[in-house]
Amino acid sequence: MRRLLVIASVMFLSACYNAPDPGSGPSGGGPGSLAGAPAPSFDVVRTDGRPDSLARHRGQVVLVNIWATWCPPCREEMPALQRFARENAANVVVLGIDQGESASVAQAYARERGVTFPILVDEKQQYGRAYAAPGMPVSVVVGRDGRVVNGFDGAMTLEQMRAFVAPALKQPQHGSV
Amino acid sequence: MSARYAALAVAGLAIALVVAQDVYPFTPLYHTWQYALALAIALAVVLAYANAARRGEDGITGKRLLVAMAGAVIVDVAGLASGLLGPDTGSVIGTPGTVVPVPALGAAAFFAPVDDAALARGSSGVTLRRRNAGEVALAPAGRRVLGESLVYLEPRPAAYVDAFDERGGHLTITQPTNASFLSPVLLFRERQRIGAFDVPFDTFAAPARHRIVRALYFTPRELAQFSHAGAAALAGKDAPALILTAADDAGKPLGITLAASGQSVALGGIRVRATIGTYPALAIAAAPATWALVAGILLFVAGIVWSAIARKPERAGGLGENSVPPRTSQREGDGLGEAGVFAPGTPAPGTLAEQSCTPIVPDAVTGGFASVPTT
Repeated sequence: MRRLLVIASVMFLSACYNAPDPGSGPSGGGPGSLAGAPAPSFDVVRTDGRPDSLARHRGQVVLVNIWATWCPPCREEMPALQRFARENAANVVVLGIDQGESASVAQAYARERGVTFPILVDEKQQYGRAYAAPGMPVSVVVGRDGRVVNGFDGAMTLEQMRAFVAPALKQPQHGSV
Repeated sequence: MSARYAALAVAGLAIALVVAQDVYPFTPLYHTWQYALALAIALAVVLAYANAARRGEDGITGKRLLVAMAGAVIVDVAGLASGLLGPDTGSVIGTPGTVVPVPALGAAAFFAPVDDAALARGSSGVTLRRRNAGEVALAPAGRRVLGESLVYLEPRPAAYVDAFDERGGHLTITQPTNASFLSPVLLFRERQRIGAFDVPFDTFAAPARHRIVRALYFTPRELAQFSHAGAAALAGKDAPALILTAADDAGKPLGITLAASGQSVALGGIRVRATIGTYPALAIAAAPATWALVAGILLFVAGIVWSAIARKPERAGGLGENSVPPRTSQREGDGLGEAGVFAPGTPAPGTLAEQSCTPIVPDAVTGGFASVPTT
């Protein structure tokens, strides 16, 4: 009987222990947290109406830039991004993915600023959600194997862009899918 | 006898308490000390009876009930383990198209992307990707047991928002105060009290036009209580609606309007269209191991049935362990046992004595008449 009382007491005291919460919300993490994961891709259109998506560029190193015309840091970053795209046209695809705006707005802005790399129009903001953008701009570099190499939250300088993309360019080409 | 029934009642109650974890999950009760104490007391009672029964204090019925008690112990311990060690009851709310780690399950939950049509249907699901295990796709209203956890998709109010400028150009939607900055899906994680109502609300911005919009979710029942013609009309359609209020960046109010699902409304210089529906949250609760529940309940029932079989002859006047054995030693050969059964020495039914219509008169009754000498 004494043994039973001890067991009951231990269980009673154990009942006061609170197990950890299963997680009451997303962990955040930002775009960098996706490194190594398959890069999400969605079918959208370019400003000229042609269909495009990240998946269509599989086998190439892609620098994805998530932005919008109203976003001041995005506008500040745009000249550096344009220069980077021109410098690396042979080995890096730069995709600007406008979030939530109409094609006409994005196209007018690109024309005005002399942007020549492809601008994709993502009215449903699917890329921004999938890459866990905590703000804009957000840049993600995707390797030839279609996996995220790294992510960056905020505007980058040209030097930062070069350093950011370099690891993806060092990846072996035979690993491409 | 009363100890036996008390132990059976307590065991049955404990099993019912544990089964309730599966039938009525997502109740914080299972993690309270009171629940654990009740199961611990039940366990102590069952073990105390089992110990006495093992020593033979409740005869053969008690020994056979040991099987039932073993089943009750298995269920009880499974219930205690899941209550004490299993995950707390909680919900994981994920933005559509995102992956949310769920440490309690050792998994990542992938919340399916959703468009306005899918949100209106409430057809979105969640996929759990577990380490060293396969994917588990959860459909709306489906529930699954994963280890010590029960998972279930709980539909929650949601709205897919589109905003347009005065020329019809699409505007970016942001949620600066929420986990997913660029999601156009409002998940109404917060609640606000307005008079008698306690309603879910969410906030989004249209930064291109410097507008911040607050959306309050009202059910048809709540709408019916409004003294407003538009609200009454919407309540009649049995559909929820949003009350939208707009402000500029400085917080200056710019307007308020009622919006039905899919209806485009003008507000603070922009147009807003909200498609109202549901999007699932991943609800997690502790659950006793299924094998333990099944095995324990089977043993419990089997033990009771077995003990009932043991007692059946007793009720029929047979040789159950509680019946009084026929006394044959004192009146051997008198033809009748005390309980009216045929005892050793009694002529068997169908023998000459029975068929002769001559009553068999015990010696004790005849009192030795046969020996009275005739004169």
